[in-house]
Amino acid sequence: MLEGRALFVTHVATIFGQRLAVALGELGADVATTAHAFTDRAAADAAFTATPRIDAVVHVCVDDAGLVPQPLVDVTADAWDARAEALLRDMLFTFQAAHARFIATGRGRIVLVAPTSGFTGAGGFVPASTAVEGVRAMGKSAARQWGAQGITVNAVLVPPALVAPELVAATTFEAPPAVGRHPDVRDDVAATVAHFAGATGSGITGATVIVDGGSVMAP
Amino acid sequence: MTVTLDGRCVIVTGAGDGVGRGVALACAEAGAQVIVATRNDNGGAVVGEIDARGGRAAWARCDVTDEATVVAAVDLALERAGALHAIVHNATSNRSSEPHRLEDVDVALWDEHAAVSLRGAYHCARAGFAALRASQGTLILMTSPAGIEGTVGLPLYGTVKGALRGFTKSLAREWAPYGMQVNIVSPLALSPAMTRAIEQDPGVGERLARRVPMGRVGDPEHDVGPAVAYLASADAHYVTGQTLAVDGGHFMNF
Repeated sequence: MLEGRALFVTHVATIFGQRLAVALGELGADVATTAHAFTDRAAADAAFTATPRIDAVVHVCVDDAGLVPQPLVDVTADAWDARAEALLRDMLFTFQAAHARFIATGRGRIVLVAPTSGFTGAGGFVPASTAVEGVRAMGKSAARQWGAQGITVNAVLVPPALVAPELVAATTFEAPPAVGRHPDVRDDVAATVAHFAGATGSGITGATVIVDGGSVMAP
Repeated sequence: MTVTLDGRCVIVTGAGDGVGRGVALACAEAGAQVIVATRNDNGGAVVGEIDARGGRAAWARCDVTDEATVVAAVDLALERAGALHAIVHNATSNRSSEPHRLEDVDVALWDEHAAVSLRGAYHCARAGFAALRASQGTLILMTSPAGIEGTVGLPLYGTVKGALRGFTKSLAREWAPYGMQVNIVSPLALSPAMTRAIEQDPGVGERLARRVPMGRVGDPEHDVGPAVAYLASADAHYVTGQTLAVDGGHFMNF
């Protein structure tokens, strides 16, 4: 599905990010990666510049260190920053570095991948949910600003079970997947990412697709 | 049944002007004791307006980016009213209506938005938790269509407003076992910045009104304020985690 496409996958230090990067490779993509969040614009630019070709950026919007259940009243200022705002700054730097690359060729794809727990809410995960929904919102505005420049931005939401066991315990209110199983990382999640990151699909932007076997269904 | 806030105390951040001022006036009108929390001196004028109408209000100089001043506003509420029933976190950055391109913005502008909207929400939740738990009270945040459907002009504003919906839903689940509520309002009302824009170019107002099924942009006090007063009232005790659009039907995509 992704033969001949060069993808840049972020946050592969996370368990889910690593699995997704491998799965995208199995679908034929040439995959470059970065392990951790960018702490400034220069770091993002350096990582992108070091990658000869990028057709699409697949941004995994989680950080394992941020997925620690804790009541918000007990979250310290530093933990708030690390679990919420640092991920949003990382997102901004990633978007800016991606735009700088894509503007040269007049085309590019950004695909955000995040757990559904931001969309549904998850007690004990207020900072991470703030980050995930902020990322999705930034994606929609980027889609509106950059659409005419040939850049699309879409989001794929995946079940908490693929991202962190702690998130599963906080989302027990969710219905079981209608198809009777969690989505497969390669055949369901990566394949959906591939549609947004591949050669077709340039007319879809600002969309959110939930790939979770029919557990959460958008209103 | 008419919404009443008799015997209730409500803190409104960013209440010196615009939507926040309208919410403060409406809550006072409904009977609440209002803590007008503002960083600037304009909070005193709003307290004066409420006093002149026979309502009860006090001004707390409060910068939501500084947790200690939010704690002080909560303390003032408890000192004056003996209890706190609602915090309305309405404040946004002074630069929130400054148009920008996402590829051009520097991290300083991001931090302005994040500090007031996101860190401010975190500070309100932390500072208010004990008092709101005691009253089975409510935290009300403010979002925007920009945060829900994206915006071509204000992407960082849209980002923090969208982020607050994630904050709201997760905190609503976290606080529900205590009988506390967390909701978020998406208003469409004439802000001072919008009023200035319309004065400069009446076409702006006409274009805005055309996008609103009810044919006009709302008034902070009379259109948005009463909906917020309802959420701050005891009548809304079974409503939580919701995004309430108070926008004349502008946004219907839930």
